[in-house]
Amino acid sequence: MPETLIPPVLIPADVRHRLKGLSLVARRAVGDRGIGLHASHSRGTGLEFAQYRPYEFGDEPRQIDWKLYARSDRFFVREAERESPVALWILLDASASMAQSDTRRASFSRLDAGKSLTAALAELALAQGDRFAFAALRDTGLALTRPASGTRHRDRLHLDLHGLAASGGFPEEPALAPLWERIGQRDLVVILSDWFDPACLDLARRLSAAGREVIGIQILTVGERDFDYDGGYRFRDPETGEELLGDGAALRTDYLDRFGAAQAGLHAALDAAGVRHAELVLDQPLDTPLQRLFSRTGNRAGGE
Amino acid sequence: MTPTLLLPLGLAALGAVLLPLVLHLARRTEQRPTDFAALRWLRQKPRPRHRPKFDELPLLAVRILLLVLLAVFLARPALLNTQDATPVVAVAPGIAPATVARDAKARAIWLAPGFPAIDTPAPQGAAPIGSLIRQLDTQTAAAAPLTVVVPTTLDGADAERPRVSHRVRWQVVPGAMAASRPVPSPLRVALRTDTAHTTGARYIRAATGALDLAIDVGDLGRALPPRTTALIWLARGPLPATVERWIAQGGTALVGSDTVIAAAPTVPAWQDETGAPLVEARAQGKGHVLRLLRSLDPIAMPALIEPDFPKTLAHLLAPAPPPARVAASAYRPLPGGMPPASQSRDLRPWFALAIAAAWLVERWLATRARRAIAP
Repeated sequence: MPETLIPPVLIPADVRHRLKGLSLVARRAVGDRGIGLHASHSRGTGLEFAQYRPYEFGDEPRQIDWKLYARSDRFFVREAERESPVALWILLDASASMAQSDTRRASFSRLDAGKSLTAALAELALAQGDRFAFAALRDTGLALTRPASGTRHRDRLHLDLHGLAASGGFPEEPALAPLWERIGQRDLVVILSDWFDPACLDLARRLSAAGREVIGIQILTVGERDFDYDGGYRFRDPETGEELLGDGAALRTDYLDRFGAAQAGLHAALDAAGVRHAELVLDQPLDTPLQRLFSRTGNRAGGE
Repeated sequence: MTPTLLLPLGLAALGAVLLPLVLHLARRTEQRPTDFAALRWLRQKPRPRHRPKFDELPLLAVRILLLVLLAVFLARPALLNTQDATPVVAVAPGIAPATVARDAKARAIWLAPGFPAIDTPAPQGAAPIGSLIRQLDTQTAAAAPLTVVVPTTLDGADAERPRVSHRVRWQVVPGAMAASRPVPSPLRVALRTDTAHTTGARYIRAATGALDLAIDVGDLGRALPPRTTALIWLARGPLPATVERWIAQGGTALVGSDTVIAAAPTVPAWQDETGAPLVEARAQGKGHVLRLLRSLDPIAMPALIEPDFPKTLAHLLAPAPPPARVAASAYRPLPGGMPPASQSRDLRPWFALAIAAAWLVERWLATRARRAIAP
């Protein structure tokens, strides 16, 4: 059986198990609309009735309006307009630099880690009843989904993720306009990227300044953190195509200094913009940044 | 103890050392293309790109060592002047080793071909004593004292007293060596002749009569004598196959001048005063064939009627063995022999072992799982 026919597992079992200890908490949204922790576990029957919809295969039986069935002898699903205070926006960078992986584990790219984190975030949002939306950022076309909840929405997200491939560069500002139209005033925005492109930092800054709560997760490869290259290499920037010949050992010290400085600068800029951030290196467990950002014990004080 | 090379040309193989150097160097020019998104923080270093640098130095070192060892092996390493000053005591066979008082440190050997150690059983059979003494002299280091223990009577001596370079201690003990060859039985002659050669056969019979030898006369059909008896075959035409076989199994035969025998290299066995050969001889199987070159006629071969013809005939048919027994006191080696050639010990077995070990190490280094990229 060729592996390409089996979609890779987005969330490994151990990571899924550890997700139970996490909860998405938007600091700015709390207490605003009076529903407490925005994880109101409304059971599909929304607070405000929106419409009836004919039953489709896959709908949960408990969503069927049995009284209406008694009257009309047909299955109808009661749909509600959920007034969830917070929608989770997952912005996944899908530019070409995200396709980079380590030589030691070439099949696991930065984008794969990003997809897994996206799925895990969606799982968290689903578990606490929040709406979630997904957008892939690349200049060849923004892929957007509307904010919604439910397992069907989650499955649609998984389908999108499986078909997603990294290409092109980070989108220019005009291309990001649809995001501004959709991201609500107090939504929680998680940006998954390598954060190498200044445009990414710019987007985060502007979103944060506009009142959205922005969380940055930076995904790095082991080679970028440790620069464990030895011997002759032709380094190529996947987005600009620029090339540089060099000997790994000779470049290491200088690179680590400059990269460390750049990282410190980035962290300072994010802190200044009020963007919480965490980092995932590809040799770490997938949920490392999630534990750091959303651990219940660590964020309880801020959440309540 | 001087290390040396017996074939320095073998060092030309050192040129092969360039091969692993090139192997380990060539890979430096390889540039593996790598995607690297954080390229903007990499800075091109202006460094010389052609500074020679080698991959996997331990493996390279072992490979060079292996080739150097091989080259030295081909150059035949040896240690010169390995002076072994251990005294040597050579005991002639026939003497009980226990009766010989000798230094405990000395190397005791039998004076026999191969010089076996004295612990081994005494060698049997004849030994050319004179030749062995000369060989032992050249094989023993100049500094080593040489003692030769011999019985009163030596057997296997040759015509010249050995000249040796060592000061040989010639120790004569009572005893005798086994006779090197059995005492020959008296000569017996069988004569087979056809009618055409009856005249010539008379000279043979006269000679045997003069020697007072027993002779067995008969025509060609008569049964052949035992192989200890010499056969004289006077008949025209080729030798019968039975006679050929009789000779090949160890008999000695004298055939007439008109007898046809198979052609083979021959040596003259008897020449007259002018040097003209009268009898030629050659070996056939284990036996000998002598062939008269002239007819048995006093006119063609005046030697027939010489007084010493009977003795010459007997000598042809059964040559007397050379004297080989000598009194040991008269056979003491003379000084003035050639000094022994400088002894050298061949070091190639040790180098072969080292090469095998280096090869194993090289294979282990080259095939271990931790290696990054196999060249």
